[in-house]
Amino acid sequence: MKIFLVLRSSFFVLSSSFFVLGSSSIKVFAANEAQGTKNQEQVAEIYRPQAGKFPPVEKAHAYRGELIFVDHANRRGSIRVAGEGMFRRNDPHPFAMLPYGMVRYHGAPADLRDIPLGTMMHVLAYLPPDPRISAVPVLPENNKEKDAGHYRGAGVFPAENHVLLIEDEASYCLREGKAWKLKEVELQSSNQGMILATLEAKQSGDGKATEQKLTFDGALRIWRGRECLTIAELIAEGAWPASGKKSLNAPSVLLGLTWKPTPDGIFQRFHISDIWLDDAAIQRAAKNQTETHTALIRGRWMPAFVDTVEYGKFGRATVTVTLFGGMDSSLYADFNKDSPVLINGAENTLKHDGGHYGPGHLASRGTILGVVKTPGTAPMGSSGIQVRFETDLIIEGIRPGRVVRIHPKGWPDVVLPREEYLGDGPRQEDRFPSPAIFPKYNL
Amino acid sequence: MRLCLSCFSLALCLGASLLAIAAEEPFRPEQGKFPPLDKSVAYRGELVFVDHATRRGSLRVEFKSEFFRSPPTPFAMLPYGMVRYHGAPADLRDIPIGTIMNIRAFLPPDPKNSSVVTTPNHWYPLPLENHAILIEDEPSLCLREGKTWKLKEVDLQNNQGIVLATRDSQDAAAAKGPEEKLTIDSTTRFWRGRENLSLADLVAEGTWPASGKKSLGGQSVLLGLIWKPCPDGIFVRYHISDVWLDDKATQRAIQSQTEVHKSLIRSRWMPAFVDKVEYGKFGRATATVTLFGGMDPSLYADFKKDGYTGAINGAENTLKHAGGSYGPAHMASQGTILEVIKTPGVAPMGSSGIQVRFETDLIIEGIRPGRVVRIRPSDWPKVYIPREEFLGEGAKIEDRFPRPDIFPVYR
Repeated sequence: MKIFLVLRSSFFVLSSSFFVLGSSSIKVFAANEAQGTKNQEQVAEIYRPQAGKFPPVEKAHAYRGELIFVDHANRRGSIRVAGEGMFRRNDPHPFAMLPYGMVRYHGAPADLRDIPLGTMMHVLAYLPPDPRISAVPVLPENNKEKDAGHYRGAGVFPAENHVLLIEDEASYCLREGKAWKLKEVELQSSNQGMILATLEAKQSGDGKATEQKLTFDGALRIWRGRECLTIAELIAEGAWPASGKKSLNAPSVLLGLTWKPTPDGIFQRFHISDIWLDDAAIQRAAKNQTETHTALIRGRWMPAFVDTVEYGKFGRATVTVTLFGGMDSSLYADFNKDSPVLINGAENTLKHDGGHYGPGHLASRGTILGVVKTPGTAPMGSSGIQVRFETDLIIEGIRPGRVVRIHPKGWPDVVLPREEYLGDGPRQEDRFPSPAIFPKYNL
Repeated sequence: MRLCLSCFSLALCLGASLLAIAAEEPFRPEQGKFPPLDKSVAYRGELVFVDHATRRGSLRVEFKSEFFRSPPTPFAMLPYGMVRYHGAPADLRDIPIGTIMNIRAFLPPDPKNSSVVTTPNHWYPLPLENHAILIEDEPSLCLREGKTWKLKEVDLQNNQGIVLATRDSQDAAAAKGPEEKLTIDSTTRFWRGRENLSLADLVAEGTWPASGKKSLGGQSVLLGLIWKPCPDGIFVRYHISDVWLDDKATQRAIQSQTEVHKSLIRSRWMPAFVDKVEYGKFGRATATVTLFGGMDPSLYADFKKDGYTGAINGAENTLKHAGGSYGPAHMASQGTILEVIKTPGVAPMGSSGIQVRFETDLIIEGIRPGRVVRIRPSDWPKVYIPREEFLGEGAKIEDRFPRPDIFPVYR
């Protein structure tokens, strides 16, 4: 099994669906010719990301599910993974963000704290890079192939729980160039009903995609330009019927999806929380989320991998780091040659190593010697931007392969809340959070 | 005689001592009763962590020092504890992390079974009253207490700045609130009627200045507050996440959140205390329950007497259903609503003041006086609930009484 997905263009645009990628991965495992050599081949195929390197996206496993729980300070949470069985029975499945793992919401960079619980998220994930220090439970490598029983089916507890990308439906559609086409709406009462829709390529959809039934209710937000409309307003405008069915002529929209318990024994049906009717509306949502994330990163510093350290004398060194990807371009533009910089050791959770008086207190200082855009397409997780700087305080936290956070001139010098740094003399569990907080469910 | 006097003196002393002890005994809510609100402690802080399935979380509690140093302090909702967001009933899952919340809380009713720590683990002056009867965001507090924010002045530089405002009572005779400085930036959402505006939109309209100061003339608004780390050594300064510029906008926010919560309760059932059980024969009984408070009136109106059927299920203090692998209705006790009674006077916070008399032929251990139950009228949707919201068969002790050790201890 070699690479079966071709990266065709830049960074965010992949030539095919990650869903296809995920299912193809399972099928290839199943298609190994010689039964006797299957175990041996599977062992050979096991891939784990390595510290200090960005993993190839084609090795990731794709799935989606409902966000149930978030521990944003440790960049982990739980998701109810969608399989082919009874969705409601799927226990919340713990996941941890890789240090360079990206969160996207409303088509913009985000932090886990920005995502409302209940949101349906798309995930690209790997096996734990180092199972001994995983912040979430470690499962057998082939767990996604096992039927979980109790009408849940396979794939709902994947061992690939270290996340490179987690994004909501709107972000997924924008990244993949897809859109929802609304075919028909049915009002079952004044404020709830069902929509028949297809998910297809925004520009060249042929209308042949499988139709999906999605529910909505009185909490639905409908965004049009700067307006946030209700169902009653669409009815008053004549766009939607007061009751019964109406064909919608397949307008192209973006949807926010959640899940609610479904009556009538339906295994899996998602619920529409938001509809963005036009580009202006989604651009406004993306702008707001971008501003939120930009402010967060300016306060918490840009995360990066240490690529190389050229040691000098008396604690002096020249360090090259690669900035993590997926941020707003204005943040990268703040790193300029000859300007001062602060750098601080961080953990895989991106927590600062020290911060009781603010991360700037114990950080190493230096000057940026150069900012280089590496040639070619950067792998997902990387910005493709290397920053070379010199410091007179090279410390253990700034070694090749380590995660650091870096602060250029002009960003605010603020103190962080207590849960976002390790504190003095951190204990083992501060650096490597225990997976024991996640409940184990019995049926 | 002397012995008698001595005994009497001793008894008096003992009685006085017991009275003194009783007077010093801290108040704890009792199972099956709604506690008096005046015994609660009020504080506020930033919502930092949520475990909505077990109705608990952490707040960064505000105190008169460096806010950023305040470690997340765990809290648990009392079974009848109410969450309010945007002036409407809510669930903890509805509240964005980072929201500034106002809380009314008591000491743990039963420290042995508390799902959050009952003793302080740090040296900060943080409250031990961590069992909440009410947790609400800023607009909810203002709407409940009849207050509004009056915007005095804005000072903007590069799409961010400071707003000078006071939180005043709508009662003209009441004392004015102190002036507060609040930060604002390009993430702030302004709600006007059906519009969702940005700072740039207000600047483009000329309502707000592109840069520099402008008087806002005491404009009356509601504010959503969060916290962001402050530069320049500021101990506590909040950030404006939302501004509701008019009543229409506020009413739309209320309506949206009300719909979210109604949908939740219809599928998870109405929580209640069992007041009393009149036992019959062969497992038959009539249970009287008091519905918990703070919901939309339309939910209470769905409980109708004279032959309306329904179902009642045992629940825990976390409001988790005691069984639900095949949906909570599968193991629930079915029956008939005999009577719906509005108790006289003002209901205490946490209670709806509405009692339902319900006859069932399956009286079980979960439906005993003082216990928490969940009850549904038969025309609410019959759905299965997700795995984390019920105990499952053969529940472990920690499923019923979640342990507080998921909360990190900060040094």
